[in-house]
Amino acid sequence: MNGPTTNPTRNGKEKVSVRDLNFYYGAGHALKGITLPLYERQVTAFIGPSGCGKSTLLRVLNRMYDLYPGQRAEGEVLLDGENILAPDLDLNLLRARVGMVFQKPTPFPMSIYDNIAFGVRLYEKLPKSEMDGRVESVLRRSALWSEVKDKLHASGLSLSGGQQQRLCIARTVAIQPEVILFDEPCSALDPISTAKVEELMDELSAEYTLAIVTHSMQQAARVSQFTAFMYLGEMVEFDETSKVFTSPRDKRTQDYITGRFG
Amino acid sequence: MVDHTVKAYDKELDTLERRIAEMGGIAEKMVVDAMDALSQADLTLAHQVVATDPRLDALQREIEEHAVLTIARRQPMAVDLREIIGAIRVAGDLERVGDLAKNIARRSMKIGLEARVPRAIIGLKHMNEVATELMKDVLDAYAQRDVDRARAVWARDAELDALEDSVFRDLLTHMMEDPRNISFCAHLLFCSKNIERIGDHATNIAETVFYLVTGSTLPSERPKGGPEYDADMTGTDRQ
Repeated sequence: MNGPTTNPTRNGKEKVSVRDLNFYYGAGHALKGITLPLYERQVTAFIGPSGCGKSTLLRVLNRMYDLYPGQRAEGEVLLDGENILAPDLDLNLLRARVGMVFQKPTPFPMSIYDNIAFGVRLYEKLPKSEMDGRVESVLRRSALWSEVKDKLHASGLSLSGGQQQRLCIARTVAIQPEVILFDEPCSALDPISTAKVEELMDELSAEYTLAIVTHSMQQAARVSQFTAFMYLGEMVEFDETSKVFTSPRDKRTQDYITGRFG
Repeated sequence: MVDHTVKAYDKELDTLERRIAEMGGIAEKMVVDAMDALSQADLTLAHQVVATDPRLDALQREIEEHAVLTIARRQPMAVDLREIIGAIRVAGDLERVGDLAKNIARRSMKIGLEARVPRAIIGLKHMNEVATELMKDVLDAYAQRDVDRARAVWARDAELDALEDSVFRDLLTHMMEDPRNISFCAHLLFCSKNIERIGDHATNIAETVFYLVTGSTLPSERPKGGPEYDADMTGTDRQ
């Protein structure tokens, strides 16, 4: 847990650009004119009280909301310049490029090996030896290899919560996405597992663009280079993390991160 | 400022602030008393100043411990974090001010009875008045989170630097006039350096207040006093 190693840079490329995004759950207006960048190979944290829209925003970034009727998004979300809200977009391809890790670890009810190979097989045809190599390399990257190498064919569900979460991250990384979204990935984990996940995020940010929704301000401060504070569906403040947590511009941000809210 | 949801947190921050105020009061009085002891050759008062110092040290330790505990307990952010870091810094500065006043008091014990050129002390007294004002102003600025007042202290320190310079020249003249004055004036030189250092600590506190309130820092270069003034100079080793 070394904290962010890369310096935040606004000169970096905008991997994802959210522009004037509005989102509706039926009649409920959940996101109001959100505009923000996700810089390439940087970690961006979304913070804000429950119901502020941060998880909704995350779910728009890989169009998870498409699974539910009555939910719609307006505006633009550009991934490398391409609007991912376009109706004719190939959702499977999008979700291969934009992976997601959820709050509760969700391993498939199959072996550890297959948990990783399953996704890879959807997108690539690999000979067994290469698949073995892929599984090993992502498990190593996820700092899980030494713990599971002797039981690759045991069920993914036999692992501890922290291990399951790292397995899910490994599974996401295995299909070589470009952006990885974390929705409160550590809220069910103990501090040691949390530290391992944070260390992993730090490493992954060398290659991937990451976004994390978290209720732990300290976690946001530790893992991210940029932080967005959201409140009541609005983006109140977006800035470098070091700025947001030492001298935020907006009073609402200050009140929230210092524990002075309502 | 709106209260914290957790009320105990507010209490912890209040405690820090009260301790700082207490330290400030003690340090200010020590500076005034030390100069009175020197100019009036009042040995009793000098001893009193020296005897007060441990109280200041104890308060500083208390503030540090309290701040560390609060950081561990609350993981403060933003203005709270700056507040706590500020308290640690200000406590450090005030403790040093106490040490400097104590040094002046000690010297006054040594030279008290052989005051050879009383008029040499006039310049020092003036310096000390300015230093005391700076201390008072900066402590008010801290208590009221008053950035403008802090900035004024920060700028006024140049005045003290200039005064030190003229005191230095003055003392040099007395020493050249009569070598028997040298020992006495050398002591006074150290005292003037101590007073100048007190001004520097007031400046540090002003910078802390500025940071505490705004989250940004004052420029590292501040207005300088006399042309001969050298910030790195210590004691009397002037080129």
